Amino acid sequence: MEYKAPLETYSGKVAEVVIGKGEKAIKIGGESVLPFHFFEGKIENRPRLALEVLDSEPKGWTEWELKPYKDVLSDPIAWAKKCLDLGADLVCLRLVSTDPAGANAPADKAAAVVKQVVSAVKSPVIVYGSGDEAKDVQVLTKVAEVCAGENLLLGPVAKENYEPISKAALDHGHCIIAQSPLDINLEKELNVKLLKSFPRERIVIDPLSSALGYGMEYSFTIMERTKHIGVMFGDNTMQMPIIADLGSECGRTKQAKENEKQGLLWESITAISLLLAGANILVLRQPESLKLMKEVIEGKI
Amino acid sequence: MILIGESIHIISKQVSDAVKERNPKVIQELAKTQADSGADYIDLNLGPAKRDPEEVTSWLVNTIQGVTDLPISVDTLNPVAMEAGLKTCKKRPLLNSASGRTDSKELMLPLAKKYNTDVVISVLTDKGCPPDIDSRIESIMDTVTHANELGIPNEDIWVDPIILPVSADQKQVREALEFIGMLADLLPGVKSTVGLSNVSNGTPEELRGILNRTYMVMLGRNGLYSAIADVLDAELVRLNRGELPKIVDLIYKTMDGESINLASLSKQEQDYVKTTKVLMAETLYSHAWLES
Repeated sequence: MEYKAPLETYSGKVAEVVIGKGEKAIKIGGESVLPFHFFEGKIENRPRLALEVLDSEPKGWTEWELKPYKDVLSDPIAWAKKCLDLGADLVCLRLVSTDPAGANAPADKAAAVVKQVVSAVKSPVIVYGSGDEAKDVQVLTKVAEVCAGENLLLGPVAKENYEPISKAALDHGHCIIAQSPLDINLEKELNVKLLKSFPRERIVIDPLSSALGYGMEYSFTIMERTKHIGVMFGDNTMQMPIIADLGSECGRTKQAKENEKQGLLWESITAISLLLAGANILVLRQPESLKLMKEVIEGKI
Repeated sequence: MILIGESIHIISKQVSDAVKERNPKVIQELAKTQADSGADYIDLNLGPAKRDPEEVTSWLVNTIQGVTDLPISVDTLNPVAMEAGLKTCKKRPLLNSASGRTDSKELMLPLAKKYNTDVVISVLTDKGCPPDIDSRIESIMDTVTHANELGIPNEDIWVDPIILPVSADQKQVREALEFIGMLADLLPGVKSTVGLSNVSNGTPEELRGILNRTYMVMLGRNGLYSAIADVLDAELVRLNRGELPKIVDLIYKTMDGESINLASLSKQEQDYVKTTKVLMAETLYSHAWLES
């Protein structure tokens, strides 16, 4: 008797989100099967890999994390270009300088840096604010305005501040990152609220990515369930691509700081796990783990 | 369905203050209002009742009995308080509750026999709340057998499957519903009860009612005998009295998976359909479940 593989048919489809404009634009999401289920359907857009750039010199990075970027650490524009030379699909610019608990740089200064980076690089740009709910409103709305029409991916947008930031993103033509604290019910709630005034095709979900040994299994489960609920059960409030912002989380761990090889493995293992869980964009720190992830995605290892 | 009014609860500040001051007014008002609103029993939730358990409990039972003839559900984990309460009740009370925990089997269950009461037996065990339907069944079969050996007949036993909040675990909410549906076959003659409002614990206050009401109708369809519930929710009492047959019908249809055209329904009816789907674990819960 001929063997017939048991194939699933799915009722839902992840929204296809376009980031960046013109020739720079890339597409993420769009799949109507579970991650890496090539045997059940076509996956139009492979997961994309970003390297992170800080808008001020990094603090607490290990020697080997600093090494690949040693000439560009004080110049976000050169750093962003370097990321693309190292093989990144896109750049994730972190506005750490704006953190009220740190340098507390003003919004317009940060926005000017974003503008310069965006003009200088040939890829779309992800912009993360400091994560301070109140300050992010000032910073991200300013960035949205200054970079009008560039179709950035702006975040984090949280339950507490989604209204003004999503409005600015809508007015000035950008995508947003909807962030919730490792809780699928809160993730859905934020999506439902956003969808009342914001198009699904411009939202990327950030359920928070914890590092291996520090709760990665929670991130894995939530990403996996998000795909199940969106793709298998057709819940259209959960059909957005996912961003796994994991490089900085891994870099903070004791294990990653202990030695170079362990640090590389810590990031890579977290990355491949979240890739399998369904992440559509990975934000990494180390060029070597970027290389590894590329090979994984291309099916070479 | 028998409704046990939940409002006299030691966690409530007005109740705990009234107990401290031995002020009967607040307690009696709560008892009276619940009786007038349609309660069949008054729940007297004492929590662990650490201080003066005997004196406090008999005072409370007498205070309630001063304004209503309704039977009392004596709700405490403290066997000393329980015994004092049962002793003081004029009408046949409900012992609320015993469980599969060793201390409960040894100290609580015998009181049901001694005072010839109805008794709530929950599925809790020494390991806590059973994680799935099979372990719930295992636990209740074991504890009910033990109760029968003590001379408590099935007819006096009200089984409590332990309701968890839908915001925490939708699967367990659905399984408790299935469990209630299986009880008549598992343990012929037993009755059942739930702490209904638990299902909406953790949900924003203004949205709790519809979860409680919808789940009550769903559980009722599966044979639930009684519920400890918010009888001050007038719509809940009306639903229970069969005064809102259209809503009940809509909930049943949604449970049966019939396709329902939401656009043809009123906002209230749509909300009941959406809530049923969440409680059946067909759509993922979020605090915004009525908004999408």
